[in-house]
Amino acid sequence: MDTFVACASRWVAFLWLALGGTLAHAEGSGPTPEALEKARIANLKCLECHAEDALMNPPLGIVNLEKLSEVVLDPGIYKASVHGRLACTRCHTDGYTDYPHAANAKESTSNCSDCHSKKTRKIEPEFDLSVHAKHLKSTFTCLNCHDPHVMRVAAGLVDPAKIVDQDNRVCLGCHDSNERFAKYAPAKKTRPAIDEIHAWLPNTRLHWKHVRCVECHTPLSKEARLSHEILNKSKAEKNCVNCHNADSTLKARLYRHLASEEKHKYGFLNSAFLGTSYVVGATRNQVLDDIVIALVALTLVGSLVHGLLRIIAAWLRRSKQHD
Amino acid sequence: MTERIYLLPLWIRLWHWTNAVLIVTLCVTGFSLHFASPNSHMIDFSLAVRIHNTAGVALICLYALFVVANAVSGNWWQYVPKSPGVLQRCWLQIRYYCLGVFKGEREPFPVTKQSNFNALQSLIYWTVTYLLLPISVATGLIYLNPQFAPAEVFGMDGLLPVALLHYLAATLILLYLLAHAYLATMGATVTSMIRTMITGWHEYDEHE
Repeated sequence: MDTFVACASRWVAFLWLALGGTLAHAEGSGPTPEALEKARIANLKCLECHAEDALMNPPLGIVNLEKLSEVVLDPGIYKASVHGRLACTRCHTDGYTDYPHAANAKESTSNCSDCHSKKTRKIEPEFDLSVHAKHLKSTFTCLNCHDPHVMRVAAGLVDPAKIVDQDNRVCLGCHDSNERFAKYAPAKKTRPAIDEIHAWLPNTRLHWKHVRCVECHTPLSKEARLSHEILNKSKAEKNCVNCHNADSTLKARLYRHLASEEKHKYGFLNSAFLGTSYVVGATRNQVLDDIVIALVALTLVGSLVHGLLRIIAAWLRRSKQHD
Repeated sequence: MTERIYLLPLWIRLWHWTNAVLIVTLCVTGFSLHFASPNSHMIDFSLAVRIHNTAGVALICLYALFVVANAVSGNWWQYVPKSPGVLQRCWLQIRYYCLGVFKGEREPFPVTKQSNFNALQSLIYWTVTYLLLPISVATGLIYLNPQFAPAEVFGMDGLLPVALLHYLAATLILLYLLAHAYLATMGATVTSMIRTMITGWHEYDEHE
């Protein structure tokens, strides 16, 4: 069955390219500059209505601006996003070419799994264990967290500050907003006060600025990829030492895209972190630590030896007096 | 014949021991945080953070009280190395610790009501009290409120120089603490100086 799906996918990809479409994610082949340009020009047509500017000066006689405001995007953000090089029609397939769009056009919009089937197969079992699946299985989709018009892959962002900003905005977007939380949460569920439930975490808001919620709210594993098993507060990681030690888990998670830059600059362990964060216990200077430990040991041994010599000297003096 | 003088008022003794307990607490918890490791038997990280922060705030308050009380009572004068001949007297004190004490020589500058500290003590106590403690207190305050740290220094997180200063000042205070605890055994008897710090009375041989 899998072989059949893979074979069919290759044929679809081939036909798509042959028809001049853009398939930015086709494995082993990037889109040609011509294809990219074609997608960009095609998207301009969509953005005539689906960009914020259109709300000021609605084209095509659109009158329902409230409805339009729900389907506009920022062209700059979209262009920079992971899907920014794709033609809109890559996902919004049938019924979107003309205006007004077909009544059932939405039904033909591609699912994430249409392109990301391999990823989806891996992710789904993880997601099924997550707190979101437990409470919202029927309504929660990839799109609740991953806005395809906005999201950028961490490997492309590289800068941990940007990765944290993007990813935490997703979590806090709902968990720090009563309005958004109520939109997706089960009927009687009220949003827990986010600061209160994190009161145990020192400098809470500073943590959220420098590390992702998912550093603690996903299980630790040896795999570099983060799990989609989002843990609730009772299961979330509370062992600070996982990050705050010389062999910090942040190396393999938030900072994994900077692994090649880890050169123990100026003698610091995890010096790649220092560009954005000083992490107590993790960003230590080994040379300085060795000197400190040696000085402490020297003071202790020195005091001990001095004390022993005082005892011996006093004993010798007393022996001499007796003689 | 043993004589005694009342040397240390209650407030100094209270400050001294509270200061000692807080600094030991801060050193132990600070060590647990800095050298945190999943396999170590040190204090749990989050508990160490809570204790370190509480003891840190207590030390800041105590330090502020001490500076005021020291100024008002005139005790600050004890911390000033008196010229002339400060270096000469320091050298004599070092020579006593390195040599004289083994030969059974007498303390070169015995304690008097007017002068609690010898020149070396004045110099070191002044450095610890008016230089190292303020540095560790100020950097600790920034640590508690990292939003006041510079955003970036030489392309690195601005908290790095603050953390390094805090660590260095704390290390020097720890070294001083260890040496100070040992030197406290060098009175007329091993425990006489510690007794003075508890009762306030300094005992000495009238031939001193």
